[in-house]
Amino acid sequence: MGKVKIKNLKKSFGDLEVLKDINLEVHEREVICIIGPSGSGKSTLLRCINALEVSSSGTIEVDGNDITNAADNELNKYRQNIGMVFQQFNLFPHMTVLENISFAPVALKLKTKKEADEMSLKLLRRVDLEEKANIYPEQLSGGQQQRVAIARALAMNPDVMLFDEPTSALDPEMVGEVLNVMKKLAKEGMTMIVVTHEMGFAREVADRVIFIDEGFIVEEGPPQEVFGNPKNQRTINFLNMVL
Amino acid sequence: MSIPELIVQNWSRLLGGLAMTVELTIISLIIAAVLGLTFGLLSVSKKKTLRAIALVYVDIVRGTPLLVQAFFIYFGIPAALGLRLDPNMAGIITLSMNAGGYLAEIFRGGIESVNKGQMEAARSLGLPYSLAMTKVILPQAIRTMTPALINQCIITLKDTSILSIIGIQELTQTGRLIIANNYQAFEMWTIVAVMYFIIIMILTKISKRIERKMSYGKSKN
Ligand SMILES: Nc1ncnc2c1ncn2[C@@H]1O[C@H](COP(=O)(O)OP(=O)(O)O)[C@@H](O)[C@H]1O
Ligand SMILES: [Mg+2]
Repeated sequence: MGKVKIKNLKKSFGDLEVLKDINLEVHEREVICIIGPSGSGKSTLLRCINALEVSSSGTIEVDGNDITNAADNELNKYRQNIGMVFQQFNLFPHMTVLENISFAPVALKLKTKKEADEMSLKLLRRVDLEEKANIYPEQLSGGQQQRVAIARALAMNPDVMLFDEPTSALDPEMVGEVLNVMKKLAKEGMTMIVVTHEMGFAREVADRVIFIDEGFIVEEGPPQEVFGNPKNQRTINFLNMVL
Repeated sequence: MSIPELIVQNWSRLLGGLAMTVELTIISLIIAAVLGLTFGLLSVSKKKTLRAIALVYVDIVRGTPLLVQAFFIYFGIPAALGLRLDPNMAGIITLSMNAGGYLAEIFRGGIESVNKGQMEAARSLGLPYSLAMTKVILPQAIRTMTPALINQCIITLKDTSILSIIGIQELTQTGRLIIANNYQAFEMWTIVAVMYFIIIMILTKISKRIERKMSYGKSKN
C-alpha cells in the first residue's frame, strides 16, 4: 500500500523550474533517505508533500488524501497526519518545552490540556528530555531542541514524518543523539522521508535511498546498491564528493 | 502670583484637563489598537487587495498632518454631510484613526520580524492560519513591538494637545483658558509642561519594567 504517492510532480519558482518530474511511492513503514547536492530541490520536494509549497502540477497523495487539490480546511486535517522536522528546529520560543509539545493538540481541541501534558511527558521520555519539560527552548542545546521538535511533531500522532536535514544545523557532537531518536522511530515502524547528508545514517536505516539532482530522481534503490554500486555518473560524482 | 500659588489656585481645573487628556488617550488607543491590529494583519495578507487596502489607509494617515486630519473630521465631514459633530467625538475619531495607522505599521513590522519558520512549524502541525497567527506569531511579534507600542502611546498622549484647537478641554486647552484670565503665560506653560513631563516619565518607567519582564527565558516554576 502506498502511503505517499507522488506523480509527475513539478514545481517552479517563477521561471526557475526546481522539480521537473518527480515520481515516487513511499510504502507504509518504509524509511526513505533523499540525498543530493545543495539546491537540487530536496527541501522543495519535502515541502510540497505537506503543501508548505504549492505544487505547480502533478499529484501528491498521502494516506489516499489528495494534497495537491485540497481546500484549506482539508489541508489542515491532512497536515495533522504529516509530521515535519526542520533544519532550524523552529521551536516556539515563547512556550516551554512541554507547551511546545502540548500546544497543537490543545489548540486544535483534540486533547484537554491535562491529557496533552501527560502525553507530552511520555514523548519527552522517549526523546530522553523529561527533565527539561519546564524550560524554554533557548536554554537547550541544538541537539536537545531538535529532539523536542521531533516530540512536538509526534504529538499529533502522524502517520508519516518528514525530516529536512534535521542534523545539518547541529554541532558534530550532537548529531548522534538526534539520529538515535530517528533510528528508534524507524524501528518502531514510522514511515519516514528524510533529507540528509548523513550517509552513515542512510546506509544503516534507509530502506531506499533516492538521489536527486537538478529536479529529477536520478537514481534510487536499497542503500547497498546506491552506495555500493551506483549506476549513474552523476550519482558517482556526488558520492565521491561527500564520502 | 508665584508658580506654587498658581498651582494651588488652579489645581482642580488643571487636574480636570489632565484627566481629559488621559481619557482621550486611553479611549483613542483602545480603538487604535483594534484598527492597528486589523490593518496590520491585512498588510501581511497573501491577498493583494487586502494589502492594498491597508497600504492606502497607512499612507493617508502618514501622508497628512494630524491637524489637517482633525479639521477634516471636525469641520470637513460634518459640512459635507450637513451634521454637527461633538468635539470630543471628533477628537477621539481623529486620534484613533491616526494612531491606528501608525500601529498598523508597527504590527506589520512586528509580524514580519518573526522568523518565517515559526508560521511553517505551526502550519505543519495542522493549525489553520488564524490560530497560528494568534497563538504563535502575534505573541512573539508583540514582544518585539513593545518599545514601539509604548512609544506610540506617548506620541498619542502628546498629540491630544493638538485637539485643543477644536475646543476640547484637555490639558493644553485648560492652560490656555487659565492664561486668558490671569495673563501669566510663562508660569502657566511651565506648569502645563511639567504635568505632561511627569505623566510621560511615569509611562516610560512602566514601559521599561514591562520590557524587562517580557524577555524570554528563566524557567517557569
Ligand atoms: N521560495 C523560493 N523562491 C524562489 N526560489 C526558491 C525558493 N525555495 C527554493 N528555491 C530555489 O529552488 C532551488 C532548490 O531549493 P531547495 O529545494 O531548497 O534545494 P535543496 O534543499 O536540495 O538544497 C534552489 O535553487 C533555491 O534557490
Ligand atoms: Mg534543503
